[in-house]
Amino acid sequence: MESLKVSAIFILLTSSVFSAEKTVGTLYFTKFMGHIHKNPSNSSSSMTTIQCAHPLKVLEDPEVRTPQGWMYVKAGSDKGFVSSKFLSNKRPLCFQEKYPKFFINLNLDLTDMYYWGKLYDQYSQGESRIK
Amino acid sequence: MIKPLILLLLIFSITTYAQDLSELSKSISDKKKSTEGKELKKKLPSSKTKDKALLQEEKENAVLNYNSISKVLKKDGLAGHKEKKEEKLKKIKEIQSQQKLAKYNYPTKADFWSFMSEYWLVKKAQALQWDITRPAYGIEQAFKGLLEELGYYKKKFKILIVNSPDITHVGLPSDKDEVIILLSLPFMRTLDLTKVDLSVILLEDFFRVEQFYFAKNIKTDLKFLGGNFSGSKMNKKYLDNLLSEYDRIIYKSGFSFQQQYKTTKMMDRVLKSNPALWSAYIKVLNKIDRLIKVNLLYKNYNNIYPSPELQIKWLTPKKKVI
Repeated sequence: MESLKVSAIFILLTSSVFSAEKTVGTLYFTKFMGHIHKNPSNSSSSMTTIQCAHPLKVLEDPEVRTPQGWMYVKAGSDKGFVSSKFLSNKRPLCFQEKYPKFFINLNLDLTDMYYWGKLYDQYSQGESRIK
Repeated sequence: MIKPLILLLLIFSITTYAQDLSELSKSISDKKKSTEGKELKKKLPSSKTKDKALLQEEKENAVLNYNSISKVLKKDGLAGHKEKKEEKLKKIKEIQSQQKLAKYNYPTKADFWSFMSEYWLVKKAQALQWDITRPAYGIEQAFKGLLEELGYYKKKFKILIVNSPDITHVGLPSDKDEVIILLSLPFMRTLDLTKVDLSVILLEDFFRVEQFYFAKNIKTDLKFLGGNFSGSKMNKKYLDNLLSEYDRIIYKSGFSFQQQYKTTKMMDRVLKSNPALWSAYIKVLNKIDRLIKVNLLYKNYNNIYPSPELQIKWLTPKKKVI
């Protein structure tokens, strides 16, 4: 009976160790506003709206498949996916930070913020380079 | 028998009286001492308040008040150090007040246009229906290739597909070396445009933005840009007026003949070196010209971009009369 108990505890501990996600770093969101998506797709539903310079914990979870170009992140209690092109390891100087009172006085409502975040998902962006 | 008793009583009462007297005098002297002490305490600040006062004084004069030992300071060269500290403090205070004031700044021109264009897009999200699931058309790759082919390097662009025929295509001002271009999905589908056709249309819009035509056509006051609203309420009317101006330009008045002529000539100059692209441009203009003449949905096109028919004329080489 005692050995059974010990083995059960051991199994529980090892399973929790192996399945647990790891925080591997912190990255900052660089666009004006954006979304943490439920799935790694721009059309996927939004878990939460985030603003420029929001720090995001980058997670590594063996049970979660993260395709290239996406990051599995955590903001507050929300976990989801953000396109890696919107993230930087340096804290960006954002419009909100540069003009804080102007931004506050805009009185953006939730709908505005939602659409502003979606805007960056919907853009097809590019930049010409020197040949 | 009674006499000794009376005597004893007398002696007892005298001794108790003497004791009372001594206690009374003791208490009076104690009281006196305590009141004197209190008065003294009143006269002198308490050690705690003294410390506090000193600290305050020290804080205030830590940098400034060296008068009492000025000679020593001069001798040791610390007077110069004091001056430097004073200057540093002054600068810090100035920077702090500037930073406080800067919080109330309106955006500068350099930071404003991308914000404003996106603000308009957010406010028009429902009308324009750009929040749609759409396939990847690969337009950005084609346009990037075109820019690179024509020698427009390090140019950023954001293309947004809108599901509305109210806008056909339009370039909105953005940050330096960046452009936001809207493309209508119904317009693309109706004309059955290829990636090359679309790239040529995008190039036309890109040139309009590069020449600041959109910003120049805005009639409302832009003096507030780079200004400050500290001590007053932010005037949101500036933004509301700008939203109306965006509406007016995009839906009603568009670009002038002169602007169109310059844009068309610029396209002509740039594309002439590549006959395939030049003929694609002519082909697109012809397609649009035909569409706006038959499809009522696009009857307003000529008001925005006057006019494809004229553009074709401007592009057609003149016959030389000998």
